[in-house]
Amino acid sequence: LSSVPLQLLFYINGIYYIFYFLATLAMIVYKSQVFSYPDDFLAPDLALLFVMAILEVLRLYLGSKGNLTEEEAPLGLSLVITVGSVLLSVYFLVWQTYVLKADVIINAVLLFTYGLESLLKVTAIAAFV
Amino acid sequence: PPETRAAAPARPRRGPAPVTDVAKLCVCDLLVAQCDVNCCCDPDCSAADFSLFTTCSVPIVTGDSRLCSQKAATYSLDVKANPPKRISKLIDHVNPSVFCIHSTNYKQALSFSPPEMPTAQNFDRLLKQYGSATFSVAPDSWNVNTDAQNPSDANETYRYEYGVPIQTVDAFLRLPSPVVSSWCSDTNPAGFLVNQATKCTRSVSVEKCDNIQAVSMLFYINSSILAVPKSSQMVNITVQSIVVQSLNGTRTLLNDSEVLRLPMILDELCINIVLGVSYHITYTDGGEIIEAAASFVLGAINQAALSIEQSFEISFTQVNTKPVPLSGNPGYVVGLPIRAGFRPRGYPFPVECLLAALVLNTNKYNQLTILQSTSNQDCLAAQGARTPILFGYNMISGCKLRITAAMKCQPLAENLLDLLKGQSFPEYVASFGNSQAQDVLDWVPITHLHASEQKIYPAFQTPCQIPVSLEIEVKWTKYGSLVNPQARIVNVTATVTTTTWKQLPSGRERTIPVTSSVVFTDVSSPAEPGYKAWPTINVKLPFDFFFPFV
Repeated sequence: LSSVPLQLLFYINGIYYIFYFLATLAMIVYKSQVFSYPDDFLAPDLALLFVMAILEVLRLYLGSKGNLTEEEAPLGLSLVITVGSVLLSVYFLVWQTYVLKADVIINAVLLFTYGLESLLKVTAIAAFV
Repeated sequence: PPETRAAAPARPRRGPAPVTDVAKLCVCDLLVAQCDVNCCCDPDCSAADFSLFTTCSVPIVTGDSRLCSQKAATYSLDVKANPPKRISKLIDHVNPSVFCIHSTNYKQALSFSPPEMPTAQNFDRLLKQYGSATFSVAPDSWNVNTDAQNPSDANETYRYEYGVPIQTVDAFLRLPSPVVSSWCSDTNPAGFLVNQATKCTRSVSVEKCDNIQAVSMLFYINSSILAVPKSSQMVNITVQSIVVQSLNGTRTLLNDSEVLRLPMILDELCINIVLGVSYHITYTDGGEIIEAAASFVLGAINQAALSIEQSFEISFTQVNTKPVPLSGNPGYVVGLPIRAGFRPRGYPFPVECLLAALVLNTNKYNQLTILQSTSNQDCLAAQGARTPILFGYNMISGCKLRITAAMKCQPLAENLLDLLKGQSFPEYVASFGNSQAQDVLDWVPITHLHASEQKIYPAFQTPCQIPVSLEIEVKWTKYGSLVNPQARIVNVTATVTTTTWKQLPSGRERTIPVTSSVVFTDVSSPAEPGYKAWPTINVKLPFDFFFPFV
């Protein structure tokens, strides 16, 4: 049987990620205006943000599909992509050029969501296998 | 010697390290080793100084306030205590905003980056990156681009105007001059009608003296001057005279100036080095150069000489005129000599004295002169040295006269008058700096006055008087427009003050001071505004207005 909490979490994650993406983009624009943000530091930050967005879409689609069709393969792939997303989130938390307090807060929330999701995915895979 | 210094390895130097500890930073600490008033963070202040402060001008010292949490040093004055004490605390300052900087991974984010120190390796790169027109060696406008001309002015006749650089076949006529430092720069062009005199230093050495272009005569006369700008008519620079200066400074004029003398090495000296060039350019009133001559001073250097001082000058004379130095055009210029002359007997107009060489008072440039004080201050031993009176400069000079019993009054009085006034005191002074001798009304006669020190004379006795002071008062006015007033002399008065002669008993002597002075007084009347004439209303009734009565 599909895991309802996992599906709920996917739904909330999707909405939260849209907010996260817009907030991070807005803050990067704010930082580039207020602080000294040379181009060779700005480009990697923006590029990684867009890569993260693509990975997130892929991850949520695969996870949702795997959960609803009760197959473990897409869920497993989604788990693997989650590792990448976690790394990117840690980048935005620690290794970004300017880390504001707001960055710390939203990245912490995102990491918490990822952690919870991973746990539920593992239990779902265990249930489907 | 610079060669041995270059052998040492170049060490990159660093600027001073930035101070980031807030406890050590103090913005109001301006005086070194002294207590600044009301500066609570000044380490030079003692507790006694703090008790005199009224407030703290700098209450808190923090780093960048956008950081989320940082150390801050606060200073405050506890006025309730007696005596007032300074309280300094180190606290953690927290920025409540959600957009405060938590951390950064970019080192230069919050502070200025220390600039790169130039070394021999990165100098060219830094110069290319940061240098601009200020640091380039030759300005871009030096290479005259003859293609970028309008074809429409091909038929215009060009002529030189004041200040235009004099063009030669390859570039411009150069007058080396010091730029920024005292070393010669060869890129200073000579301007038309701009009389210039410059002195600069050039580095030389005996071994390379025949390779240095700027010390050889050829460098200064090889390119011909164009008679008018952008034309093909050329004027060669002729050598007018050559003066040779020996190592101990004596100068001799050479008889033949036709031979070109180039630097050459002779017995450990290098001779024929150019020490000075003086150009004389003759021009027409149409702005064309017709003649150019150069006079050289050549010298010699020995092994020990590392640099020489070269002097250059250029002067312009109009063709068919004899140059007369003007003291202003038209108004007198402060610092230039006053021109004077006198009317020779028999001529109705004042003419500048042509026997100028013999006249000691108006020296050979027809100037008004005053006695020059000498070091021994003895009037009777004075050699007749006189100094020209410069417009606008009040002068006083004098000497001491020792009167002995053996002197007689009358010859002494005549000697003193000659001493004060000079051999022939002029009668007229030019009212403008450029007054010509033919214009009678431009010359002001000198009024002579006689004053005596003692006012009352015993009756029936005209005692002998000796002159003790000559005071020349020159009254001048500002003439012309308000924005460019010209100085014009309106009145010159020479007052001779005399004192009675007292015959001394034998063996006694007396010393009296004899002075001569010049005073310039400005008698300008206040400026009057000049308005245009009021428009008049011209109203006339028609001719037949009162028809049929008229």
